[in-house]
Amino acid sequence: MLYRVMDKSQLPALVRGFMESYEVVAPVKRGERYVFDTVDSPDQIALDYPQTASSAKKYLFPPVEAMMRFDARANLVQDFVQEVKPRVIFGAHACDISGFNRLDLALAQGKYTDPYYAARRAATLVVGISCMPTDTCFCQLMGADEVQFGYDLFLYDIGDKYLVSMSSVEATNILEACCEIAEATDDDRRAFRLATRRHQAAFNPDIPHVEDVPMLMDVFHFDPFWDELGGRCLSCSACASVCPTCYCFDIRDVLQEDSDAGVRERTWDACTSPDFALVAGGHNFRPTGRDRVRHRMYHKLNGFMVNHDRMLCTGCGRCVAACKADIDPIQVLRFFDEKGARDDR
Amino acid sequence: MGAFSMITDNPRPRPRVVVVGLASCFGCQLQITNSEPHLMELLDQIDLEYWQLVTSEDMPDAYDVAIIEGSVTTRESEDLVRRVREKAAHVMAIGACAVTGGVTGMAENALARRVGEVYGDAVPEACGQMIEPRPVDAVITVDSRVYCCPIDARDFATQLQRVLFGSNAVREERALCADCKRNENDCFFNQGELCMGLVTRAGCNARCVNRGRPCFGCAGLSSAANLDSTRQACERYGVPAARFDKALQMFSQVPLSQAGRQGDDEPVAGTAVGKGAR
Ligand code: SF4
Ligand code: SF4
Ligand code: SF4
Ligand code: SF4
Ligand code: SF4
Repeated sequence: MLYRVMDKSQLPALVRGFMESYEVVAPVKRGERYVFDTVDSPDQIALDYPQTASSAKKYLFPPVEAMMRFDARANLVQDFVQEVKPRVIFGAHACDISGFNRLDLALAQGKYTDPYYAARRAATLVVGISCMPTDTCFCQLMGADEVQFGYDLFLYDIGDKYLVSMSSVEATNILEACCEIAEATDDDRRAFRLATRRHQAAFNPDIPHVEDVPMLMDVFHFDPFWDELGGRCLSCSACASVCPTCYCFDIRDVLQEDSDAGVRERTWDACTSPDFALVAGGHNFRPTGRDRVRHRMYHKLNGFMVNHDRMLCTGCGRCVAACKADIDPIQVLRFFDEKGARDDR
Repeated sequence: MGAFSMITDNPRPRPRVVVVGLASCFGCQLQITNSEPHLMELLDQIDLEYWQLVTSEDMPDAYDVAIIEGSVTTRESEDLVRRVREKAAHVMAIGACAVTGGVTGMAENALARRVGEVYGDAVPEACGQMIEPRPVDAVITVDSRVYCCPIDARDFATQLQRVLFGSNAVREERALCADCKRNENDCFFNQGELCMGLVTRAGCNARCVNRGRPCFGCAGLSSAANLDSTRQACERYGVPAARFDKALQMFSQVPLSQAGRQGDDEPVAGTAVGKGAR
């Protein structure tokens, strides 16, 4: 990977450089929270955000997306040509880039490519930014605190400068055209190492590392813990809405008012919703909160691992804030940590 | 459903439709007119034989679809909806009053006392024979529903289309917060404020929270509503559970007491209390 350094004062020039040919979306402050939104000036960007309430997934996999149009009178289907805006997601943390990479495994690199997702992903540049963990961040436990690929530029904050990892020609060209960049000096490298160490030391020590959690989940599949955890689920699916790696969707047909034509669209759905597992004939194979929450946690901490050799959870901590019933992967880690401690006695 | 299919027939058969108003503010009937740019397109697909809001004529004798707004609050309206049920192939309840009892349902608890407070001994004849307010489906079978107070015009159009063409679409039963989070609203609980989204049926796209006001629960309880856990969640965020229970009365008094529980003075016990309405 190629590295250069740039002075922090050049950041606005870099953003403006991207703006010439891309829509730029970046973290902005809205009320008490941070969200990814379109910006038209570098001043709007809040690059030092702790975490956004929802992830930038919405730019690759929108909450509602048209898949095709149909003419109900003629019974005709019209191919849907999707316009994809060339876009830069500016200021994504490592966990979110890692989230994109995990979405890629499911949607772009699997046996069946999702053309809608793949088109957006291909048209989107990603500029990463280093971060300081919040109290609810546990990306280091989920292998998502560092990313080696999946971005175009990554800016590591090393004081007055950024150490910039350059990973695509497209973005490097813009960087070189708009900013003065230099080779890293020994001082820069030292600053980088110190910053990395500070970052690693800042994780909340109360979130336990449980090495073998996927296996433990299999062994304790019927533990009463799941009744307790899932029993308090409110069936609201807020968790999946904010999650950077939930990719489930429903498909529905929407007729325009005159009923002559309509759109088939897909919309986010989630395994925590009560009728997610409702099938023809009226059978629901995950009828209770316990079944649904357990399934969610299995997909995040066990099932994806089995298929793709990494967790689906990136440890971003968003569901910790979104879930009003105190249900999140940290609770699962704590349970197995405490159970381990009990059993050792 | 699907009484009036199908798609490719041209011209389409136009079902005869009546719109009936019971105890309500008539706001939901008014919402239909708020489909403005599309109102004629909708009306083109039906034979609107009677619309209580805009006529003083009597209801016709024969029709296919009856759209009922408002709750049943008198013996007279009880008889009316029974007669409607006999004639209509499809009955659609629109708005919170018709679907859950809505705001009128708050009077369900201790009706006699409330009547006394308002009228004393002299109940006007126009009141009819009052009974505890109840949703339409407490009296007759209802085939489809449009939720909320007031209804959303687009949602109404969608439900009407489902009656016209048939549909096997499943109505979502989950609570509202997923929509709210999609819209990236800040949660009221983070400010220690009560919001009924935790137990309210999704479908409105969290339109109140999007505009900066907590959800009052007008879509009614999700059939998966978890009341006990919600009370605990309230307390965790500094909202007394009693306030939540009080707030439940505004749109869910009748369903809760129908479920054999008291929604007024004592807290409501139990978890899943939704009526499984679908
Ligand atoms: S786990 Fe939490 S956020 Fe997710 S559906 Fe259940 S209550 Fe809602
Ligand atoms: S499960 Fe929660 S912590 Fe994990 S990636 Fe999703 S939102 Fe983040
Ligand atoms: S956790 Fe549930 S909603 Fe999220 S991707 Fe997995 S199955 Fe889908
Ligand atoms: S504001 Fe209301 S609807 Fe939104 S997440 Fe909070 S409780 Fe749910
Ligand atoms: S947010 Fe709540 S009160 Fe507002 S329309 Fe939706 S269900 Fe009704």
